[in-house]
Amino acid sequence: MTLHALPARRLPLVMAMGAAISCTTASAPPVERFVVRSSWARIADSGATSGAYLEIVNNDSVSRSLIAVITDDAAAAEVHETMQHEEVAHMMPRTDLPIAAGAVLTMQPGGLHVMLVDVRRALAVGDSVRLRLRFSDSTDVPVTVPVKTL
Amino acid sequence: MRDRVSLAGGRVVDLLHRGMWLVGALLLTACDLSGGFKGMAVDPPREMPVVAFTRSDGSRFMTAPEPGRPMVLFFGYTHCPDVCPTTLADWKRVRARLGDDAKAVRFVFVTVDPDRDTPAVAERYARMYDPSFEGVSGDALTTSRMMDAFGVAAAREPGTNATGYLVSHSSQVFLVDSHGKLVALYPFGTGWDALAADLERLL
Repeated sequence: MTLHALPARRLPLVMAMGAAISCTTASAPPVERFVVRSSWARIADSGATSGAYLEIVNNDSVSRSLIAVITDDAAAAEVHETMQHEEVAHMMPRTDLPIAAGAVLTMQPGGLHVMLVDVRRALAVGDSVRLRLRFSDSTDVPVTVPVKTL
Repeated sequence: MRDRVSLAGGRVVDLLHRGMWLVGALLLTACDLSGGFKGMAVDPPREMPVVAFTRSDGSRFMTAPEPGRPMVLFFGYTHCPDVCPTTLADWKRVRARLGDDAKAVRFVFVTVDPDRDTPAVAERYARMYDPSFEGVSGDALTTSRMMDAFGVAAAREPGTNATGYLVSHSSQVFLVDSHGKLVALYPFGTGWDALAADLERLL
């Protein structure tokens, strides 16, 4: 039976029944292994450098590492950490960032960040960049990161 | 490992080490509460030299004091994804806080990477954050003179094929009053409202 075969006046009833069935049979959505939140990227000229920040929650029962960030929106994406030593800022590459089971990895200005090298187009507020986060269990998590001025 | 930066005339200096001396000397003379500044006051204030930069359109930008116009400076590079944009975004907040008074303040971003940051690149970078921000790039000698005066350190660090070299650099903001004297420093991480408050005091 298709909906087309039903008189129009019965449609709401059928839809309500369908909704009721789906509600009673639906189970709680599976918990994502990695949840990314509070992400944002910086404005940049085309061909210039941008930076992205995000929080990653590891919902797995074991420690997992962020091992790479992949993007088509820049020539390269590298995870770095800004370290301050006697008022001099250094950037240290981070190619293996462990996140303990249940823990949150927080990137923020002055600390961990994703360096976006040679962005393909100018990034203005309201634009976004698409990243894929690669973890040590071979999971790839796509994330769309809005450009903001924070 | 640190690379050395080659400056004018083939003179090779380890800017990081040289700068550390000067930064250390500045910090020794700085006191949190001295002079009523929210930043780290430089006491006594230090007279800074006048340095001239050439903009991409051929006009000159001079660090010479201008009556009623304090100057805020930061030394960085445009390939910097974190500390430099954080600082310029903070300046934007400072400008907003100051309202119309902000027009009197000269916000100056000085590149420590003039090999890659031409005057045009430095200008565009600073103006992307606010059209009033001045981004300047000098030749090697000018850059070195400016860094020496402020006790700024910078050194090239190895990067990847994608990034090219990275640059470690002093990360504090400098406040010069309208008499051309360095009066306060703001280490990275100092809340932007400290700079805003000190500018309100000077204006």
